[in-house]
Amino acid sequence: MFKSICARAIVPVAVTVTGFVVICCLLLYTAIKADMTSDAVQHSSHLADTIVKSTRYAMLKSDRETLSNIVSNIGEQSGVDHVRIFNKKGLIMFSKDPGEVHQYVNKNSPGCFNCHAGTVPSATLVDMQKARTFINEKKIEVLAITAPIYNEPACFTASCHVHPAEQVVLGTLDIGLDRTPLERTLSLLRSRMVLFSLMVLILTVGGVSALLGRNVFQPIKTLTDFTDRAADGTLMDNFPKIEGELGRLAENFRKLILRHHEAVANQKRQPDGLPEETGDPEKTPD
Amino acid sequence: MSLPMTYRHEAQGGEETPGPEVLTQDVREGIDRLRGRANRGLWSMALFLGISLGALKDFDFVPSLPADIREMLGAPPPVTLISTALVVYSFSAIILILSRMALNSGKYGGITHVGYLGAFYGFYHYARALGDNFWAVLAAGVTVLALESYHVWTYYRGQIREEEEKLSRLEARLKRSSGS
Repeated sequence: MFKSICARAIVPVAVTVTGFVVICCLLLYTAIKADMTSDAVQHSSHLADTIVKSTRYAMLKSDRETLSNIVSNIGEQSGVDHVRIFNKKGLIMFSKDPGEVHQYVNKNSPGCFNCHAGTVPSATLVDMQKARTFINEKKIEVLAITAPIYNEPACFTASCHVHPAEQVVLGTLDIGLDRTPLERTLSLLRSRMVLFSLMVLILTVGGVSALLGRNVFQPIKTLTDFTDRAADGTLMDNFPKIEGELGRLAENFRKLILRHHEAVANQKRQPDGLPEETGDPEKTPD
Repeated sequence: MSLPMTYRHEAQGGEETPGPEVLTQDVREGIDRLRGRANRGLWSMALFLGISLGALKDFDFVPSLPADIREMLGAPPPVTLISTALVVYSFSAIILILSRMALNSGKYGGITHVGYLGAFYGFYHYARALGDNFWAVLAAGVTVLALESYHVWTYYRGQIREEEEKLSRLEARLKRSSGS
């Protein structure tokens, strides 16, 4: 199958085009996915910073009721998996889920480990380091952002529970957002890229195969069949018409074979009754 | 350009031409050698697939680099740069193989390609991005090595056909001389 001229022309083209299109699509998809994930993390990080700023006044006034209300309202938004504020010791002070309040957070869990890996916890993290992805108990993929609540002069000079000035981080906001819309978009992108690749492959490989088949391979096959039959001694009366250079080749073959057959026929018909000549160097009967 | 077939018992200047039995044996051995060369592409592909199996697991069976070695090596190259290099390499490799096909050259570079592709796995692993880019490297490797294998196979099939014709003529001569 791979020895025919058709296979030798089409197989390398098909492998080359298919392979290169697949490689480029895979790399393009990976790059787009990385960009979209980075954008999602940045957006979530800005959202977390906005929440921290929004709750600042309530914290300064030590208005725990307002703070609890704000956290509950945010938690009720669609797409929010969890939202909690915990203090420096890891105790959850405010949460969307009332059952979590006054519970401790495991410092070795993903999201906490980045800051608490060393003996001295990190005071600052870049956006990507604040993010973590996990699957919750409802089998939903969640993108969680951890935003530290930094100590400010207004905090350690306030009249309520005063924080010492040397304390850098007062607590942490932890918010988790549903990644389902992002995954849905990525899935849609994947489907579109697969469809586009298939269309490109069908057009290029199919188009090249069809054109080559029509203009080159089919005429060559017809010519090959004709010469096979001529070699067996069978002449085709209704030789199909072929156009272009292959048509000239086919016509020249036909003329050569016709002349050969005529020469053989003439030698067999001897007008003077002499026996058939043998050993004629020009005669090549089959 | 075809590579010349060499025979073990080729007559040197002044020596008697070896007999048809010896020549037949030489041609048979030559055909076996050509068959071995025709299948070289499969070995490279098998080696690459073996490395890919390890890459699929992010080489977790290999101990990770110690922190001091990582510090010495420095930060990994950006993933975008590695991906661009992969595209450029794939394009260049395919062009090279197609040009060898067009020139009917028997040159074979399969093991070199396995080396390059292994290096790409290594770079992505060091940049901690192998999980996302594994399929791209696998697709590049399968494309390049499949094309290389096909080229080598068709090239040596042609030579094997010529040698088989030679063999059948020699066997016919042997039969005639044993019959007479």
